[in-house]
Amino acid sequence: MKTQEYIESGILETFVLGVATEQEVKELLYMKAKYPEVNEALQQLENDMEKLARDLAVEPPSGTWYKIAQEINAVIPHQETAPQVFNRRDNYKQPEKETSKADQYIVVEGESSHMRLHKSWRWVFAAVFILGKIFLAFAIYFYLENKHTQEQIQELKTEIRLLKSK
Amino acid sequence: MNTQVQNPVSIGHSRLLLVHKLYHKYAGMLLGYIFDVVKNETIAEQYLIAVFRDAIHELNEFANEDLSTFCYLHAITRKKLAEYFRDTTYHNRESYNSNNKYLRQMSFEQQFVFCGIHWQGKTTSSLAAELNKPEESIRKILKDCFTIIRNSN
Repeated sequence: MKTQEYIESGILETFVLGVATEQEVKELLYMKAKYPEVNEALQQLENDMEKLARDLAVEPPSGTWYKIAQEINAVIPHQETAPQVFNRRDNYKQPEKETSKADQYIVVEGESSHMRLHKSWRWVFAAVFILGKIFLAFAIYFYLENKHTQEQIQELKTEIRLLKSK
Repeated sequence: MNTQVQNPVSIGHSRLLLVHKLYHKYAGMLLGYIFDVVKNETIAEQYLIAVFRDAIHELNEFANEDLSTFCYLHAITRKKLAEYFRDTTYHNRESYNSNNKYLRQMSFEQQFVFCGIHWQGKTTSSLAAELNKPEESIRKILKDCFTIIRNSN
């Protein structure tokens, strides 16, 4: 089968969707290793799959990672069962050091620059926004009012000056 | 010479960090897919947890260049959903996500094949039998579906 014919057959699509048979997978991996065009077509399909998934993505609930981490921690080795670290210095007897408080904590640095907030905060933000608008309206109103009053005072002063001069 | 061997605890910790990186990048995409299959937020989250719980045992496979990381995670997800696909009676066309811009551009037959395989766990042979067409035709239809996805903005 020619390479282009193979690419056009749709087998690559069944592979990325996970419905290719074992025989088809073997054949595809062979073709992929041998022909760069097949490899390229496959990469393009993988990008298409990501594009589709990205468009239909749903934000996971905030506690999901915590649940996963808990389940993983239950299966990966714990401190008590872990064998001792092999270190040549251990061969020489040294007085046991007291564990400092800092050693009992793991420094965790968050990767995300985003912050999660409870949904109820949106009402607080909305209230702050509306109050901000109200204060701004009042400030503008009083500014204009003050300006108007100043003008009136100025006019009155002028009138008094005119009357005095007469 | 450094004779210090890495402690399994720190190996476990670094593996957990790797899974966290995968979660950070792909969890939303996988949850979207799972939700479109199971149509239930709680069940979808349970499947997502199961996928990433198992991913820690498959980390070496991610280094394998046979499949991209996302497609490998997608394959794990499909394996997890296999039982669901088996036990659930297939939805009709109306249950397809009508907000999906890609599906809107597909013909009824293309939607039937793509949704059947992607969201309902059908095989090309079962679809061929349902549509009374050879498997080659089903694969061609699938290829056309991907062309639509690729050309869509």
